[in-house]
Amino acid sequence: MAGGGSLGGGGSKKRGKSSKRKPKKRVGFVLDMTPLVDITFLLLTFFMFTTTMATPQVMEMKIPPERDVEVEVKESQLLSILIDDKGDVYYYNAQEPAEPIDMKDVRKLAIQENLNQLNELIIVLKVSENVEYGQVVQVLDELNLAEAGIMDEIVNNRGNASFERKRKFTIADFTDDDREKLAEFNGPVEGEE
Amino acid sequence: MPKVKKKRVGFVIDMTPLVDITFLLLTFFMFTAKFKSEAEAEQKFFIERPLASADTSKLPEQDLAIVKIAFADSTKQDTSYYYEMTNEGDWTAVKSGMEGLTPEQVESAQLQVSIETLESLIKRTYRVNPKTSMAIDADRSIRFKWVSDAMDVLSDNKFTKFNYVTKKR
Repeated sequence: MAGGGSLGGGGSKKRGKSSKRKPKKRVGFVLDMTPLVDITFLLLTFFMFTTTMATPQVMEMKIPPERDVEVEVKESQLLSILIDDKGDVYYYNAQEPAEPIDMKDVRKLAIQENLNQLNELIIVLKVSENVEYGQVVQVLDELNLAEAGIMDEIVNNRGNASFERKRKFTIADFTDDDREKLAEFNGPVEGEE
Repeated sequence: MPKVKKKRVGFVIDMTPLVDITFLLLTFFMFTAKFKSEAEAEQKFFIERPLASADTSKLPEQDLAIVKIAFADSTKQDTSYYYEMTNEGDWTAVKSGMEGLTPEQVESAQLQVSIETLESLIKRTYRVNPKTSMAIDADRSIRFKWVSDAMDVLSDNKFTKFNYVTKKR
């Protein structure tokens, strides 16, 4: 494209009078690309603004097919994690009193408890009806992340590479018992307001 | 002999690299672009999805039914269920047998439904195509009761495995 500068470099020898006009020797040609670039930029900006880069991802959930069916389990195998109306997280083992826990400690707790009772522990996530859905997903996410930690611990530190993890997890509503357990935490908080 | 000064009238910029790169970007965006589905184009609400850590699993493109739970308006007062399916044929089949749908609703790609209607829609979905996978797409600040009710309906109708639609944190 830029080669147009060397036009007629070698044509210095004069010819006869019969040929008045010397035919220009073409070495290159210049194409005006402006409209092409215009339209290309237009399309580019259009596609850039219409594409969504953050495609939604999914979190898989499996729930038991039967509701209202009693399944007998050992109470010592139960770890209940409660989320109350305000989105605060509590936990208790079996029938022990509930204890508050930070969201960021949930993963640590789940790993620890699962390692204590490998493949036996059942995590029951009890969710108040009024809690925000985003909060629930956050706890579920922490529990999902805990699985990686559990496997890592077993395979690397306990040297059991062929370990088959069976995850036991369920999601349930609050019971009266749970409300009672949380009552002592909610009491003073309401007093402060 | 003094050099003859060339008179400059204009100048030419070589646009080739620019055009090269622009075309490259253009083709990239053209091929990655995914256009909104009919149902998404219809919907008037916006769902702020709950945040979850990075996961590679994506929503399936086919045989998918989505239960959307969202605030119907920006005041965040009215919550409602919405139901849509990706398979056009299945969706028509599901809607055609439903009672109490206005002709307008039969045409639309997304239905605003009550929990009872949702249940019968899901029942019919199972009958039409049992391979349909279910997804719950709910706003993150919605009360969990709405999600839990939808989950109960799903599990009552043989959809015990489903997906929560989330956004990468």
